[in-house]
Amino acid sequence: MATATDARPAAAPGGPRPNRNGISERGLARLFISPSITAMAIVALFPILYAVVLSFYEYVGLQQGGFTALGNYVDALTDGRFWDSVIATFVFTVFSVTFEFLIGMGFALIMHQAFVGRGVARATILIPWVIPTVIAAQMWRYMFEVTPGFINWALPFVPDDFNWLGSSGWAMFTIIFADVWKTAPFVALLLLAGLQTIPEEVYEAGRVDGASAWQRFTRITLPLLRPAILVAMLFRTTDALRIYDLPAVMTRGAFGTETLSVLVQDFVIATPNPGFASTLSVLTFILVLGVGVLLVSVLGKELVLGDEA
Amino acid sequence: MSTPPAPTSGAEREAADTRRSPEVAGGSGRAGAVERRTTGQRLGKTALLAIVFLWCLIPFLWMFATSLKTTDEALASPVPWQGPWGWSNYLSVFDQGFGYNLRNSLVVASMTTIICVGIGSLAAYAGARLELGKKALILTGILTVSLFPPVSLVPPLYEVWRAVGLLNTYPGMWIAYIAFTLPLSIFILTTFFNAIPKDLEEAARVDGATPFQTFYRVILPLAAPGVGSAAILVFSYAWNEYLLASTFAPRDLGAQTVPVAIAGFSGSVQFQEPVGTIMAACVVVTVPMVFFVLILQKRIVAGLTAGGVKG
Repeated sequence: MATATDARPAAAPGGPRPNRNGISERGLARLFISPSITAMAIVALFPILYAVVLSFYEYVGLQQGGFTALGNYVDALTDGRFWDSVIATFVFTVFSVTFEFLIGMGFALIMHQAFVGRGVARATILIPWVIPTVIAAQMWRYMFEVTPGFINWALPFVPDDFNWLGSSGWAMFTIIFADVWKTAPFVALLLLAGLQTIPEEVYEAGRVDGASAWQRFTRITLPLLRPAILVAMLFRTTDALRIYDLPAVMTRGAFGTETLSVLVQDFVIATPNPGFASTLSVLTFILVLGVGVLLVSVLGKELVLGDEA
Repeated sequence: MSTPPAPTSGAEREAADTRRSPEVAGGSGRAGAVERRTTGQRLGKTALLAIVFLWCLIPFLWMFATSLKTTDEALASPVPWQGPWGWSNYLSVFDQGFGYNLRNSLVVASMTTIICVGIGSLAAYAGARLELGKKALILTGILTVSLFPPVSLVPPLYEVWRAVGLLNTYPGMWIAYIAFTLPLSIFILTTFFNAIPKDLEEAARVDGATPFQTFYRVILPLAAPGVGSAAILVFSYAWNEYLLASTFAPRDLGAQTVPVAIAGFSGSVQFQEPVGTIMAACVVVTVPMVFFVLILQKRIVAGLTAGGVKG
């Protein structure tokens, strides 16, 4: 790149056309953007196309059998295990995102009000979010586990031998709980950044007009916070749909916690079958990307309209 | 595209905070009762803040306490403040080769960060400042990649990595990580580049600088805080990633990263859950990260809020 620019006469002082100075702007732009595009094409675009190809082949173990057209898709879509994991994924997403927002909003309001140690407070709520999810998963797994049984000991109304991770329903609860613990503070941080852009004068005006604290929250804070909420919501939802680490470590997908990511990964390592794994990955891709694009287009429009209003 | 809030807001916000607090504390100039109420309010707010702290930190206290117990003891008693205590778990963590895992994670995360931020800042500059054909199409493509579920790429990438021999290698991981972290770093850096006044480039151009010189000499130094923020977020993504790492390098100590090791620790006695050892490994990773966050929290928040205004 350096040689490309040095080769050109860098002088031409006062030349009216900027593109006569060195490499043209458009050419430079193309040059600058091509490494990123190439990297994403190799690692993201090509594999998904390759997955579509693989999904049309039958495999016995790692040995490629014959072309089976849509055979793998029929197998997957008539498999109860696939639909169970679709349900598990959406249950996880809906509950974890909802509770992250309720708790995150509470935390954001508290931190916005407090005037002592704001830097320390911000650092503290970043810690659960920044540690590897695997650590959070191992930590909560052993806290919920019957032995040592910290949660059962700490909660007086729970019997000491209650098996959180080994009963359907509660297993999903522990995973959602761990995710909310880890991510609610992060949501709080995003909302706090939004709260800090709301000018204090607006609240003063509300107070002068006799609005109660609740009215100020619903009539001033929420509408003005809308863009921040929508962006955070978009991030969290698309992220929650890809959940893998928590169920993989805490329950290994047992007791109704097998999410789509856990299911696909199972057919890569545990019971390898590249054809079927690729089929599942294409289905997951369509489902998750579909929801993502839907959210972006709906919320994106909301955001633009919100700015105009 | 809407005008994104300036990413310098970290400092500005801090200033706004200090401006606001006296206003709240001394809102009305009356004495006695009002002042006592503000003291009460202050106490109430501090109590509420304590809830947030406890929520975030209590599990870590349990983790630390458990890491100091022998495995038998840790399994026998749920009471966190019951000894006997000792450092034996920490020794056994490193006996199992955790030092290699730490090294592997450091190498993979550093490679990812350097390459991703390097090529990402070029792309972001092109997107923010240069004349670029089909800009909307390219930005939509990048946004779409950021929505990709990584697990969809695992089966085909595994096949390719197996064929070309990238399983159980560093590049097998960082090549994949770069593609997944590029969208976020491009969005963050674009926001930061957009916040730099255009006059500076005009001035550089008038002085006869080429577009590349303008980027390298004028814009990049000014965008250093943004580059720092993006680097921190990319590094922590690569440091924490588990799905691809556990698929592409599940056991080989020469490439296995920290999250994979923590998920797969085995006990010294077979079939015994090595709680103490696992928690010791978690503490070893968490303690440096706490300092990292305390020092860098302003940069992290700036990066997150900049990445949030994708618009």
